[in-house]
Amino acid sequence: MEDEQIMLEVRAGDVSKLETLFERYHRALFQFFLHLTAQRAMSEDLVQEVFFRILKYRHTYQPAASFRSWMYQVARNVHHDHAGRHAAEVALGEDIVELRGPEAPPDRQAQSRQEAVLLRRALAAMPRDKREVLVMSRFLDLKYEEIATVLKCEVGTVKVRVYRALRDLSDRFFALSGERAS
Amino acid sequence: MNCDKFREQIPECLAGQLDAAAREKLIAHVDTCAGCRSDLAEMGAVWRGLRSLPVVEPDAGMRSRFLEVLEAYQAGMAETPAAPQRSGRFAFGWWPARAVRQAAFSLALVAAGALGAHILTRPPAPSPELAQLQAQVENLRQMVALSMLQDQSPSSRIRGVGYSAQVARPDREMEQALLYTLNHDANVNVRLSATDALEKLASNPEIRRALVDALPLQDSPLVEIALMDILVENNDQAAIPAMRKLAQDVQADESARQRALAGIQKLEVSK
Repeated sequence: MEDEQIMLEVRAGDVSKLETLFERYHRALFQFFLHLTAQRAMSEDLVQEVFFRILKYRHTYQPAASFRSWMYQVARNVHHDHAGRHAAEVALGEDIVELRGPEAPPDRQAQSRQEAVLLRRALAAMPRDKREVLVMSRFLDLKYEEIATVLKCEVGTVKVRVYRALRDLSDRFFALSGERAS
Repeated sequence: MNCDKFREQIPECLAGQLDAAAREKLIAHVDTCAGCRSDLAEMGAVWRGLRSLPVVEPDAGMRSRFLEVLEAYQAGMAETPAAPQRSGRFAFGWWPARAVRQAAFSLALVAAGALGAHILTRPPAPSPELAQLQAQVENLRQMVALSMLQDQSPSSRIRGVGYSAQVARPDREMEQALLYTLNHDANVNVRLSATDALEKLASNPEIRRALVDALPLQDSPLVEIALMDILVENNDQAAIPAMRKLAQDVQADESARQRALAGIQKLEVSK
């Protein structure tokens, strides 16, 4: 069944159907928050908040809207409220820079681990709005049209924002690693 | 097309979202432009690096916590706190996760059972013994609710707020705990739940005064609106100054300011 049909049933009062949407999206939402906060426990709590808010404000869901876009709008609001109460900077959670690559040679593993740490650090140092648009584009695989709906802006604006965010991340990463790509 | 326009297409190209014709144009341009070629190389390396970052899975307990919240919410919708309809794996949704609360909850259940036996086997006339048992159940419920309100997890605190709503006559400590949660909990959903729980107590003028005092302390428009809904619903004229201040605050959320204006109008009409 389509997400939108399920959400309409939730809106009509059959809230148990939300379990299906939780199964479909809780991992993606967890990744979204993890990349924004770098805190595992906090990210899990924020996912719970998203679904609680969907329950509480289910009557505001409009049938014509994509559930996924609406859900990420809720998630943004949840993160915004959270971030308003905490420091804007993201702590580098050591638990999320663990690399699992047993098939790689030890020296390659060390190099990959080092690159992952630097990339995480560069991502964490970025302004929140840039980090957010990059996470949506790269980790959530949202199309630019969907991102535009979530951010309530034009597709052309999304293009420019993603470019600037990736450019910013690249500059920070290569500055940290002390080298430029050839 | 100038370099800026081509460069803006690089992430779209890396994400595979650029159509074939535009991609060919970009490649042809990059082939002849060293600056854009360098951009593509650097951004491509970082783009691939992002994908190779390890995927961290959420804790397996997240699902069960969600189901607990869902079940608690359904129980709240049914408004049958004494005997909510439960089935299957949801049967123990209210069962506290920690041993100390399990013990307190068990005591509450035992006392409730004893109370039920009294009600079933004795005539309905009140007795000192029955009143004592009722008070014992109330105290145990409060103890469990207060304990849950102090939990680290927001979902547990939400359940604590929900459980507090089952206390027929919350004492001063319970009221203060809910007000403290409203004003100080870090999680907006917990604060919203506390607002809902306090709404049931809003016939008490002291609680309403505390809700008026709480209004300027909020930083979430959702909580502000929920508080104003309660105060307007209860025709609390004392709320007008705080709502007027909110309506005039240009830094405040627009929807909260609009709600304040509408609420002031309604309160002034019913003066």
